[in-house]
Amino acid sequence: MRIGLPWRRNLRDRRFQMLAAALVLTLATAWVPPLPLTRDGVQVLAVVDITGSMNVRDYTANGRPQSRLEAAKAALRHLVAGLPCGSRFALGLFTERRPFLLFAPVEVCENFTPLDGAIAALDWRMAWEADSRITAGLDRAVAMAGEIGTDLLFITDGQEAPPLRAGSLPPFEGQPGAVRGLIAGAGGYSLSPIPKFNDRGRETGFYGETDVQQENRFGPPPADAEAREGYNPRNAPFGAAAASGTEHLSSVRETHLKELAARTGLAYVHLDGTASLDAPLRAAATARPVPGRLDLRPFLGAAALLLVLAAFSAAPLRALTVRTITLKLSTPTKA
Amino acid sequence: MSGFLAKVLAECARFGAERPAVLWLLPLALLPLVSAPRRRAAWADLRAVPPDPLSRALAGLLWAAGCLAVTGLVAGISGPYRAGERVTRTGTGAEVSMLLDRSGSMNETFAGRQPSGEEEAKAAASRRILGEFVGSRAHDLFAVTAFSTAPMLVLPMTDRHDAVRAAIAAIDRPGLDYTNVGRGLAMALGQFGAASGHASRVLLLVSDGAAVIDPRMQDTLRAAFAKIRPNLYWLFLRTKGSPGIGDRPTGEDTPQAAPERHLDLFFKSLAVPYRAFEAEGPEAVAAAIRQIESLERDPIPYVEVRPRRDLAAWAYRLAALGLVLLVLAKLAEVDLARGRAGQGTARAPERRMAA
Repeated sequence: MRIGLPWRRNLRDRRFQMLAAALVLTLATAWVPPLPLTRDGVQVLAVVDITGSMNVRDYTANGRPQSRLEAAKAALRHLVAGLPCGSRFALGLFTERRPFLLFAPVEVCENFTPLDGAIAALDWRMAWEADSRITAGLDRAVAMAGEIGTDLLFITDGQEAPPLRAGSLPPFEGQPGAVRGLIAGAGGYSLSPIPKFNDRGRETGFYGETDVQQENRFGPPPADAEAREGYNPRNAPFGAAAASGTEHLSSVRETHLKELAARTGLAYVHLDGTASLDAPLRAAATARPVPGRLDLRPFLGAAALLLVLAAFSAAPLRALTVRTITLKLSTPTKA
Repeated sequence: MSGFLAKVLAECARFGAERPAVLWLLPLALLPLVSAPRRRAAWADLRAVPPDPLSRALAGLLWAAGCLAVTGLVAGISGPYRAGERVTRTGTGAEVSMLLDRSGSMNETFAGRQPSGEEEAKAAASRRILGEFVGSRAHDLFAVTAFSTAPMLVLPMTDRHDAVRAAIAAIDRPGLDYTNVGRGLAMALGQFGAASGHASRVLLLVSDGAAVIDPRMQDTLRAAFAKIRPNLYWLFLRTKGSPGIGDRPTGEDTPQAAPERHLDLFFKSLAVPYRAFEAEGPEAVAAAIRQIESLERDPIPYVEVRPRRDLAAWAYRLAALGLVLLVLAKLAEVDLARGRAGQGTARAPERRMAA
């Protein structure tokens, strides 16, 4: 039995052409290689403040109070998980007056598990001194980031302990802007009590007003000292009254941190939620090209799918339009 | 039976898609049921045609081909995969928990000076030699703990040797103040996971001095050592002229007067395999590390991660199969009007030569 096929008509049929094109696209997925492209990776040294004021619980997570350090860790883990493969991450601690490098930069995808574990293990108990001279620590962290050739992410609440002498920010010795990066201010905007721990690491309450230095009384007295109650140039150069203040309470010192950021050429962002560091760091850090690849198959597949759907729905669609046109045409003649 | 079911379920759970939202388009595969890419034939009613099993079979085949093409494409776009496996194998190696001294004196040379010219600081030497040790055997697991005044957990137990080398690379940075070895030991012991099985465990202490461990801490450590039972190695980077591990002090023999000797005595009293290496130069450090390497040759279970398998290619292959059928059907389409009367028309509009 032989039937002459209408080849020409079949080949000219739009639906045949669409299906054939879809077939070609689908077959092409088998040999189209992934497109090599470069993505913007980062190389960053994250230095986390682990001093006492970072234990203040003024964040909330899942409806429960969360300390600044825990919030910072959660944000860092989120950040590392979202960095493109080929990015490198180094981790350091800050307390006293200097950063301490835990490990040199490592690639984030291959070593994700140990990186995540190391960030999760950060603890205030690793601190070696109780001071918190943030200005000095930041300057050294900038220098350290410069030495290992990375950008800097410095997470702190900005509370200097002992307090800085009024209006005396030491000059920055490095070159502002030579190391790019971000200062993340941790903490709420209202004052909160700072938890106190005993030498066994157990929490025993909160710091009181007399537990901490309220005023820096090293060096020469400030200019307004003569006006103070009980001032005596030799016996009471800072006045006779004990310093009072709110240094035993803590909030994020944004003005101080912004000042520090401007001084060192870094950007500033307030740590506010788990994902709050991702975009600001990408914006502040130097874009380092890392190789990536783009799989083209989904695009070919999507085009093929559209063609197939069009081929299948062409007839009913056309029927629909033909019917409406006929209706439109026929109505006036009837009337 | 339930075991078999669980196996099947576990196998199913390993399939996934990179873009699962795309799978919501799967109902589109029903489109071939309501419409076909064929030309319309002017035929009043299909019921006028006698039932024909071949035509029905062909219609079913074409419907299946359309369904297969749409399903395959949607599945392919969603990026299907079969998740990788974690297979536990046995190799040669050990779980090594390194406890590294980061006190300030580690930045001096073995002669107790600031390094100058060709000289190498103790930290730089141990960095180089330990870095070679890590990664010389593929299946070792490492954890890194640093200590000075307080212990610092640097890296949890891991098989990622790059990360371990990065942690070792940091030890020649300026160190901190004191040597508080007791709490460091406690944290390094804590790095051995509870569920690590029968692997041989090594606690490697690298320090250039020692300190007094207070009696309360000693009891805690004794209990921890008895529970974990690691092989303990002390790599003592001795500065020339300073007291060694075995030297008795001239005056009273107290822990304060000779902390190194008393730390050694404490280690010996722990009833775990223990060796101390006194290294007075980089060569001695290298020799000690080689010796440790040769001593620790026990089987260790390690996890091999098999990469996940991309199933998109299979989905596209199935779609291509469906499309080939549809294209051939389109090529073999005949028109009722032009077909010959009689046998041609009797076979209904679904007639397809190529199928």
